[in-house]
Amino acid sequence: MDKNMATPPSQLGRARGVPAVKPKNMKGTLLRLWQITRGHRKGLGWILLLSALASVSAVLSPYIIGRAVNCIDSKEPGLQLLAILAALYLGDWRIRFLQQFLMAGTGQRMILHIRTSLFAHMERLPLSFFDTRQHGELMSRLTNDVDNISVTISDSLTQLMMYGFTITGIFCVMVCMSPLLTAIALFAVLLIFLLTRAVTRRTKVLFRQQQEILGKLNGQVEESISGISMVKAFGQEREMVEKFVENNDAFCRVAARAQIASGYLMPMMNVINNLTYVLIAIASGVMALKGRLTVGEISSFLLYSRQFARPFVEIANIYNNFQTAVAGAERILEILDEACEPEDTADARSAEGVGGAVSFRDVTFGYRPDKPVLRHIDLEIPAGTRVAVVGPTGSGKTTLINLLTRFYDVQEGAILLDGHDLRHYRLGELRRAFGVVLQDTALFGVSVRENISYGHDNVPMEEVEAAAKAAGADAFIRRLPQGYETVLHQGGAELSQGERQLLTIARAVLEQAPIMILDEATSSVDTVTEQHIRQAMFAITRGRTSFIIAHRLSTIRDSDLILLIRDGRIAERGTHQQLMALEGEYAQMYLTQMGRL
Amino acid sequence: MKLMMHYIKKHIGMFLIAVVFLAIETFADLLQPTFMSYIVDRGVKGQELELILQYGLIMLGITAAGAVGAVVRNIYASRTSQLIGKEIRLDIYEKVQTLSYENIDRLQPASIVTRITNDVTQMQNFINGIMRIMLKAPVTCVGAVVLIVLQMPALLPLMMVILVCAGLLICGNMKLGYPRFDRMQKKLDGLNRTSREFLSAIRVVKAFRAEEQEREKFGDASGQLAEAGISSMRVMAVFGPLINLTVNAGIVVMLWLSGRETAGEIGRLMACVNYMTQVLFALGMVSNILNSAVRAVASSARVQEVLSEMPAQQEVAEENTGAAANETGGFSAADSGCEEISPREQLSEGSIVFRQVSFAYAGTARPAVQDAVFSVRAGETVGIIGPTGSGKSTLVNLVPRFYDATRGQVLVGGRDVTRVPMAQLRQMIAVVPQKALLFTGTIEENLRWGDKQAGREEICRAAEAACAQAFVEKLPEGYDTWLGQGGVNLSGGQKQRLSIARALLKKPRILILDDCTSALDATTEAQVLAGIRRESAGMTVLLVSQRIATVMKADHILCMEDGRVCGFGSHEELMADCEPYRAIYRSQIGDEDCPGAAAGEGGAFHG
Repeated sequence: MDKNMATPPSQLGRARGVPAVKPKNMKGTLLRLWQITRGHRKGLGWILLLSALASVSAVLSPYIIGRAVNCIDSKEPGLQLLAILAALYLGDWRIRFLQQFLMAGTGQRMILHIRTSLFAHMERLPLSFFDTRQHGELMSRLTNDVDNISVTISDSLTQLMMYGFTITGIFCVMVCMSPLLTAIALFAVLLIFLLTRAVTRRTKVLFRQQQEILGKLNGQVEESISGISMVKAFGQEREMVEKFVENNDAFCRVAARAQIASGYLMPMMNVINNLTYVLIAIASGVMALKGRLTVGEISSFLLYSRQFARPFVEIANIYNNFQTAVAGAERILEILDEACEPEDTADARSAEGVGGAVSFRDVTFGYRPDKPVLRHIDLEIPAGTRVAVVGPTGSGKTTLINLLTRFYDVQEGAILLDGHDLRHYRLGELRRAFGVVLQDTALFGVSVRENISYGHDNVPMEEVEAAAKAAGADAFIRRLPQGYETVLHQGGAELSQGERQLLTIARAVLEQAPIMILDEATSSVDTVTEQHIRQAMFAITRGRTSFIIAHRLSTIRDSDLILLIRDGRIAERGTHQQLMALEGEYAQMYLTQMGRL
Repeated sequence: MKLMMHYIKKHIGMFLIAVVFLAIETFADLLQPTFMSYIVDRGVKGQELELILQYGLIMLGITAAGAVGAVVRNIYASRTSQLIGKEIRLDIYEKVQTLSYENIDRLQPASIVTRITNDVTQMQNFINGIMRIMLKAPVTCVGAVVLIVLQMPALLPLMMVILVCAGLLICGNMKLGYPRFDRMQKKLDGLNRTSREFLSAIRVVKAFRAEEQEREKFGDASGQLAEAGISSMRVMAVFGPLINLTVNAGIVVMLWLSGRETAGEIGRLMACVNYMTQVLFALGMVSNILNSAVRAVASSARVQEVLSEMPAQQEVAEENTGAAANETGGFSAADSGCEEISPREQLSEGSIVFRQVSFAYAGTARPAVQDAVFSVRAGETVGIIGPTGSGKSTLVNLVPRFYDATRGQVLVGGRDVTRVPMAQLRQMIAVVPQKALLFTGTIEENLRWGDKQAGREEICRAAEAACAQAFVEKLPEGYDTWLGQGGVNLSGGQKQRLSIARALLKKPRILILDDCTSALDATTEAQVLAGIRRESAGMTVLLVSQRIATVMKADHILCMEDGRVCGFGSHEELMADCEPYRAIYRSQIGDEDCPGAAAGEGGAFHG
């Protein structure tokens, strides 16, 4: 979770020699990244140009210093050279400032752009996308991966540009001055190359081991701390600490080895640099002695020798970061490539003012096509019917709701609303036709009022209060410190389960939808609160089609129609009395729950 | 910072070795230009090849010494920082084991985990950085300046000016940069919060067509982050190049001064120019430190928070004095306390008495349990029922001291629980929580938590009672089946049954069942309850449930409402004079007058 937030890959933050995650399709990804940069290209162009210019000073200043040294050596003032040098440094300052300044803006704006478009796309993805992925993983794409992309594009690219020009420039100047000394400098590059290869070869294995043990350690920590109640209840504290110590020690051993191995890279590079410096000092000294080199040229070469090798080191490192970033970009593109919920067609029907008659025509559906959850469901529900759906866990009750609201689409058959296929309605209006109270009482960290009017702008206070009253939530809201304006800082964790449930019901009431859906809305509430909720529901479902899914059969006795679903089929259907008279599964479930069997 | 210093002090020897060798490494860098100047001035100018080679050899020797310094420093710096990381992790972990629920609730488990993993890594990287770069940069700077002045004393004023300028710029950079990086980190947290909220509420977002609203919220959070990012990057953009310019200007002035004064030894000038580039490089590293420092300080504050958390509960140190409680930390104290108790003082019976017990969670005004009074004889079964949030779970959590009563006394076996060593108290109690918690390891290892010495036969017997035997045997590796983290490879119902078996295996005096059969269907639940009934003969059982049918036949029924015990007695007694109980009964069973005749042996639990 190291967020290397758009800063140049810091020498502290990132261990060198850490193997990069290899991208799958480097070329294709880069091409698409290039498309994403549209709108930022002007800024990027300037930044790249400035990076190229930044190499000018690096290439020329040692040469001019050398000339100046020669002048001083021969007792000439050489003011002209100093003026040029000063101009060069001033120019360099301007260029670096502009480049970094522009990069701050462009880089961050690019991140913002990619991040918001990724989010906008994510929002339009079907629910199946979210149901099959871990939230933590999606979050890391929104933060880390997006940041990494920008690091690739702005940082790596500009650095590559600058170093590329610097190396080429210095190389040309050096060859012109002395091919022999250039050869020594190149020898250093060869050494660095060999060193890097040796180090990465060793660290690759070590870092993989480290990652494995780290996973184990983190897993154990997570498990034992989230399960601390049982650790304490069973007096397992000592065992847990022992286990932790074992993992912690193992991790420390491997991590130290990995860090030592990778830690050799930088100081050894420095040693090689010093070695080159020494060799050049000796060789150039000897050459100068023989009159083949001026003192100024020695001076230039010594400065070059320090600057020449460094970029090679950096380039290896940049390439590594680059690969990691491209792999991150691939993960983002993967999301952007996911198909959105289908757009409404031009001839889509308006769902405003629908009556609420629902029919299922031979509906079959499975989250995985080879494993149907619902099979050949046929149903006719006239508008205004109160329908209750019961059945064992996993029988497909919630799936029914997922299909009605088009969170998922049927695979075979069709669901009709007022005689028209759901898929022919405009999706937005269709969902507005449902007032939904879902299993999880998700609330937001805003005020109670905003939570109730969620999804609507500028709802008058009277409407919010009316909805809260209808849901039986008004009384407890008024007891909150700031009433309707109380902000739920902890996303509702400060309320009791029942209170949260009442708020979500008020939220659904406010929708004024012709069809109400309550998915196990009363499962985690005690039976007395449940009765309040049931009364509220009874009032607000009057005249509306409603679907109630409940574990507790006592809550749905007065429904117009009870459906018992088992193994994806409707096993029994009818009113409470009819089903009791049937003495089938429903009757048995009912009696078991009442404690009479 | 203070915290990091504390750990560094513990390894001050290794730390100093690393620093000493870092100094050797740095001096090796610094000495090169000086000897280079001898090559030029004495060798080249003096036309002596011998000297050139001689000085060259010395330089090679210095390089070799530098290499040795680098190797030793690398080994020690890496070892030290890893060791420190390890110790901080262990200290947090051990600390957490000694904390009570109240502390852990407040710190939040997920946050503790991040502290042990991410925050420690940040600190560790920073400490490693101190030994790698942070000390090297200033030493290089100061050393280079000293050597320049030694070479050309006339440059002293110039060097002073440059040092002061660079120093001011670095201070400015830190002063303006630090709060901006800090803000950026906070905005990043905000962004994470927003996206987490969105992801967990995705169904609601879609059902209420609130996509646009969420997009705006997210756009706002990322916009703020971008703004904070731009502002901190721009500070760097202003100061970084300015520092470069200062040093470069120094080079120009240096060349100009020596041209004017026609100093005789050109090699010295060359060395000085080389030193200036070393200074430049060292200063360049300073700004890199900033970001890392911000994170390390923030991380260490978060770690410190855990380490300085005072355990909310006190452990009895000496039974004799009784009153004095001493928190020397953790289970070790608990264990030693255990040995100090003489056998005749061992708790041996499972009666439970609540005397005017009230309890409020930290930070809340309203008590979750208020003035609870009741007593249960050893071996009896109490069914506890009441609306959600009425305090049922809280009430039973007071028995094994997961929390301590804010007022009143809880007695187990006739002794105040706060006067009994924690380990001894918990040894005689087994808890089955609402949410079954299993751990990485085999099924058998998990069950053995209850009893380390249990033979396979006993384990099977407990599993049988919890209706777990059948499904465990169907698993390819039976009891040796490896469970992933938190038992991910089992269903909720399977986990609950194993969790019950684990508690039964412990053969406790008191068994607490906290609504632990919620993931089971009615038929299995009835079987499991029957199994528990068989195995729990002689145990005091506290059975929390939502379903009236489950508790109806217990020896006593305790009905709770709004934190108060509103009824305690048999089913008939409560039906007669406890209105909340009657309300629950009506809502679940209906209005019939006499259920006793109809209710059979099925789901009901009686001791």
